Amino acid sequence: MTDSNETILEVKDLKKAFGDHEVLKDISFSVNRGEVISVIGKSGSGKSTLLRNINLLEEPTDGDILFHGQSILADNFDLRQYRAHVGMVFQSFNLFHNLTVLDNVVVPQETVLKRDAAEAKAHALDLLKQVGMEPFINAKPGQLSGGQQQRVAIARAEAMDPEVLLFDEPTSALDPEMVDDVLNAMTALAHTGLTMIVVTHEMAFAQDVSDRVFFMDEGVIAESGTAEQIFEHPQEARTQEFLRRYLTRA
Amino acid sequence: MKNRIWRRALGLAAGLAAALALAAGSLAPQSTQAADDGTFKVGMEAGYAPFNWTQSTSANGAVKIEGSSEWANGYDVQMAKKVAKALGKKVVVVKTSWDGLQPALTSGKIDAIIAGMSPTAERRKAIDFSSTYYASKLTVVVRRDSKYAKATSIKDFNGAKITAQLNTFHYEAINQLKGAIKEPAMNDFPAMRVALESGTIDGYVSEVPEGITAEDANPDLTYLRFDKANGFKTNPEDVDLAIGLRKNDPDKAKINAELAKIPQKTRDRLMNEAVANQPSSDSTSNWLVALLKQYGPMLLRGTGMTLLISLIGTVVGFLIGLLVGIARTTPVPKSKGKRGLRAIGNWLLAVYIEVFRGTPMIVQAAVLYYGAAQAFHLNMDRTAAALLIVSINTGAYISEIIRGGITSVDPGQFEAAHALGMTHLQTMIKVILPQAIRNSLPAVTNEFIVNIKDTSVLSVISVSELFFSAETVAGQNFQFFHTYLVVSAIYLILTFTISRLFRIVEKHMDGPKNYNVMTNQMQVETPKIG
Ligand SMILES: Nc1ncnc2c1ncn2[C@@H]1O[C@H](COP(=O)(O)OP(=O)(O)OP(=O)(O)O)[C@@H](O)[C@H]1O
Ligand SMILES: [Mg+2]
Repeated sequence: MTDSNETILEVKDLKKAFGDHEVLKDISFSVNRGEVISVIGKSGSGKSTLLRNINLLEEPTDGDILFHGQSILADNFDLRQYRAHVGMVFQSFNLFHNLTVLDNVVVPQETVLKRDAAEAKAHALDLLKQVGMEPFINAKPGQLSGGQQQRVAIARAEAMDPEVLLFDEPTSALDPEMVDDVLNAMTALAHTGLTMIVVTHEMAFAQDVSDRVFFMDEGVIAESGTAEQIFEHPQEARTQEFLRRYLTRA
Repeated sequence: MKNRIWRRALGLAAGLAAALALAAGSLAPQSTQAADDGTFKVGMEAGYAPFNWTQSTSANGAVKIEGSSEWANGYDVQMAKKVAKALGKKVVVVKTSWDGLQPALTSGKIDAIIAGMSPTAERRKAIDFSSTYYASKLTVVVRRDSKYAKATSIKDFNGAKITAQLNTFHYEAINQLKGAIKEPAMNDFPAMRVALESGTIDGYVSEVPEGITAEDANPDLTYLRFDKANGFKTNPEDVDLAIGLRKNDPDKAKINAELAKIPQKTRDRLMNEAVANQPSSDSTSNWLVALLKQYGPMLLRGTGMTLLISLIGTVVGFLIGLLVGIARTTPVPKSKGKRGLRAIGNWLLAVYIEVFRGTPMIVQAAVLYYGAAQAFHLNMDRTAAALLIVSINTGAYISEIIRGGITSVDPGQFEAAHALGMTHLQTMIKVILPQAIRNSLPAVTNEFIVNIKDTSVLSVISVSELFFSAETVAGQNFQFFHTYLVVSAIYLILTFTISRLFRIVEKHMDGPKNYNVMTNQMQVETPKIG
């Protein structure tokens, strides 16, 4: 699905340590417009940390991240605009508990993008409809199932018209019967040509939807390639080992 | 002449406060002259009948109480009028709690204390006294039907079980009753009257005005009229009443000259009038009806004041708490200079919180109201001082509550807001504070309720809130049990109403328990929100 070679995001020699604990060791890759990248790997290998560095929820220890060729670490970089363009969907949804479903999607548009209320609402209703959540616009997040919350979270991220969407294990906290609804919403998004980086344990999704797959291990990208290369012909012993365990379990 | 134990505790707090204020402002003179505006400001409790009491009309030559719609009357008020006239000034009564009298005098808020006060050596250290304006006598109050009712001398009490108020010279005077059995001392007069009626004791030592009042209030009791030779031997320091003045008051000579002109006959007449005019309870109807009829308006005003102070105090305290709570939870800035400023600011806020949480509100009130007047000549309105203290005090508690409310919000909420590009301020206003405030609401309700109850300590600066009004009422009708029972009920009604109201607010903030699923296409197109 790589329709252009325009590079949106470039990660260069990224390192992240918490104290002495080096969680990311020298990570480099670039992302082209429209690409869907799945990141797989063992628990604790640094997948979440990688995503959180990309939108600066964590500060990189070393290295650089370029967005359209500009360093996001530069002093004069407009971080808020950047974050509005790089959305994130969390494992634990993180919908705003005090707001209704509709307001969760409307309020960020109004405050960050300064859209007027009517426009924000129309946009929100449209996106909520796409993820099948429009009947629930008046509900509070606490009144919804996990799968429903996650679909709202996806609509909320989409509403900002992001150039890149980051997903951190969006289905791990869900009951199995809810997983498909969310994966379907994500697949639909991928087909619109949106650039996505998806940390996931859903191997079928990684295999079917992604253009590229990164296998992370101990803070490095141990192997990367097309879905076919990684899943059919893994080169590295640790990739084979990981897949054997995961695929037999699934 | 009076000495109630619990008042001592208040006095201690006020004393500590004054000590603090003096330490802080040791450069300033300790005595402040009141502005000479042609008024003679007299401090009294207006709740110690027959010497002074509060009434709702100007009957019998009463004097308006400053800043109030009520009037003061009694022996002290009549004396004050005479003295003011001699000074060529207009008399003004400043209703002041017992423990507030001395600080009010030395800080210049009043010109004189005429409040049934005896010139003890202890008091003479701080203030000056005029000559005697009333000399009391000791007596024994007994049951009218007992054999001691016929006693004519202090020698007629062989075998009688006698008590007196704790920590008073009355109790020592029991030794003069030959053959009497000294029972353990009791805390207050109502308790002694009950003990007397029930036969636990045969009598208690008291002073004549109290005896008259006891007889008045309860026809089963009487007090003994000893003649001079057969009565108690007393120290003038104990039974004499004098006018409290600031040291070196230039008017002292004039005041003494005027008092010298008032003969014993006039004094007795004034006391008899005072006893006759003092508010007595209406014994014909039900006690509750009588109490409410006579003192309802006073208690209602007290209730209003309590509600006003606690409401404004809580609202302003909440705003202070919100700002401080927000300030203390701002993220650490990157630049070193800003980081330093934030650290200093947070340190100051921490000091504010610790100081106001760590000292009793009664002391804070005394420091602000009396201390500031003595040390810095800062003359504050009582109600304003009360509002200020309650607000600042509440702010200290609520800022910790809000801080807790903010830190207890799931960090994922901050992350999601930041990941969407919201600023810290936007995040706080749209996402975090609504949740933090909602989480804090039960604790804020608690603060409100505590405020309603704790404003009672403001009687130390003579704010006429509910408890202060209750003291006035009980001091006049001597129905301590009934009065405080009614006042407890009022407090309970207030606090219960507040907690119910806040439950409703909480429910409102939580929104409806159930939501409507918008299945109909039309409804979805035009959803009803809000
Ligand atoms: N804020 C932090 N402080 C200290 N250590 C951290 C912090 N965040 C993550 N780590 C450590 O970094 C390592 C990688 O964590 P990360 O969450 O990136 O792993 P992951 O690959 O996402 O794992 P999982 O599949 O379980 O989500 C872990 O050892 C974790 O303990
Ligand atoms: Mg993770």
